[in-house]
Amino acid sequence: MIAASRAVFRGLGLRIELRGEEHLPTTGGAVLASNHLSFLDFTFLGLVGVERGRLVRFLCKEYVFGPSVVGWAMRRMGHLSVDRGPRRPRTSTDGCGVPEGPPEGLIRGLRCPGELWLNSAARPGLWSFHGPRLGLMTTATLVLVLVVVVALAFDFTNGFHDTGNAMATSIATGALRPKVAVGLSAVLNLVGAFLSVEVALTVTNAVINIQDSKGAPKADLMADGGYALLVIILAGLVGGIVWNVLTWLLGLPSSSSHALFGGLIGSAIAALGLSGVKWTGDGTKLDGVIGKVILPAFASPIIAGVVAAVGTWLIFRVVGHIAKEFADQGFRWGQIGSASLVSLAHGTNDAQKTMGVITLALIAAGQWTDTTAVPLWVKFTCAVAIAAGTYVGGWRVIRTLGKGLIEISPPQGMAAEGASAAVILSSSHLGFALSTTQVATGSILGSGVGKPGATVRWGIAGRMVIAWLITLPAAGLVGAVMWYLGHVLGGALGPIVVVLILIALTGYMWMRSRRQPITAANVNDEWEAMPETKRLERV
Amino acid sequence: MNNLALAADGAWKVLVASLVLGAGLPFVFALGVRARASAAGARADGEHAERRPVGNVLFVLCLLVVLFGVALGITIVVASGFGKAVSFEHIYPTIVSK
Repeated sequence: MIAASRAVFRGLGLRIELRGEEHLPTTGGAVLASNHLSFLDFTFLGLVGVERGRLVRFLCKEYVFGPSVVGWAMRRMGHLSVDRGPRRPRTSTDGCGVPEGPPEGLIRGLRCPGELWLNSAARPGLWSFHGPRLGLMTTATLVLVLVVVVALAFDFTNGFHDTGNAMATSIATGALRPKVAVGLSAVLNLVGAFLSVEVALTVTNAVINIQDSKGAPKADLMADGGYALLVIILAGLVGGIVWNVLTWLLGLPSSSSHALFGGLIGSAIAALGLSGVKWTGDGTKLDGVIGKVILPAFASPIIAGVVAAVGTWLIFRVVGHIAKEFADQGFRWGQIGSASLVSLAHGTNDAQKTMGVITLALIAAGQWTDTTAVPLWVKFTCAVAIAAGTYVGGWRVIRTLGKGLIEISPPQGMAAEGASAAVILSSSHLGFALSTTQVATGSILGSGVGKPGATVRWGIAGRMVIAWLITLPAAGLVGAVMWYLGHVLGGALGPIVVVLILIALTGYMWMRSRRQPITAANVNDEWEAMPETKRLERV
Repeated sequence: MNNLALAADGAWKVLVASLVLGAGLPFVFALGVRARASAAGARADGEHAERRPVGNVLFVLCLLVVLFGVALGITIVVASGFGKAVSFEHIYPTIVSK
């Protein structure tokens, strides 16, 4: 065992220096205590014993001695097990007379024939855990950590998928250099995210039934540290991310919110059946999948398109016979202003969805109780995640929006972003939530329709509409499959496997994207230079 | 079916408000750009037209209208972030609790 440990240390490239080993007597009893902050560190102290020609007995929590190979080996090597139940310390090894008393007494009064390691002496709080509960707590905590990390990853994809909504037109017309545009948008998203003081903790209530109207999780999902609810959320988030990354790979702007909702709907159906989904509201306001997702999805591109078309038409009527340079210069500024407004609104609207989801997970796991506020670190990490995503820039989506649909001019850009900003702000003001992505796409199409003599590539627009139609079922399917997987494997293993699959899928899609990278450098290349069929093949 | 009626109602309101702000303000902005061009005597055919300084005044007026609209937009975003809403019941916007 000692030789094996040394081989491992050597394999890891560790160089270990011993100091003060002379303080360990070569005979008689002695206690060695160490800090324990990582998986490996306690093993180093064993080398001190070896140096002095002695073997060390480790004092370990009881569950290490369970019915496994490790447990058998631990017993054979004569290590000592400790029940960390409250105020009931005892060792299971014969020959160790340990008096009753708190853990401190255990150390002081130890009269073992050999030496002893005191493991995890650094954290007195651990002593209050019960053995059996300890395992459960770790599983629930692990799943909670996975949910938080995956939620932040979703927030990141939300940012980079939607950069184009605000900045595609400014980048395409050259009003802003690509890197400057995404930087500006990132800062405004960050500011917008911090502005969301009042966060809707009831974000999932729009489409599924896992919370009550105040935002607290349903009681029957709260057993085992909220495990059932955490797995539903985790699977839903994975569905949202996979769909976001896939549509990014294909360069299709699709709604991040719909991807999230789709994923959650899928995992909720898998976990709770069809009754887990809120299909419509109670009739007093727009609610449920139909009211909050499907109907707005049809309405938003049409409304935005009409507004942008009217705006574009009016602008060209007014400026038709003035010098082009004059018009372009003026409209560049108008475009930057209106695009900034869209970015700000995006930060406030979208970052708070992730904040709501993470806080729901924390409440379910018993780590947070206030249903009217969000922990500060949640707000901070969500704001940073969405801004970082925005700054990375989903160049593939930006290219489609800025160059693919129409050849955009500064007046059209101004009309499109003005329409987007107006539609997003007035719809959230009037409680009729619209998808930013669909609004932005509708606006750009509208600005193509409204300009006399402009051509619109309807084929690309058609592909987008198909993507919008299948967003909900596709993300839902992934969410459902992930939930089944997590559920069948169960425990800590299920969620871990789900996350590993997420990493594998997104990693694969990222690798695919490298075959034909789109970056800040080539985002504005001529669209027609690359024939449609070739583009599809290469993707 | 109720959802459909509610959606139609919401969509209608959003369309009107957005047309006023989202098409109206860019239109005013375009008027401003045109006024400025006329003040400088710039024309699409490259010819120099007569300079009309009054255009600069119109340009500033248009810009003020647009800036007011943008400020209103930012106020709506910020107010909703703080749990407030912007009310138009007195015609001029006021900030009220939601």
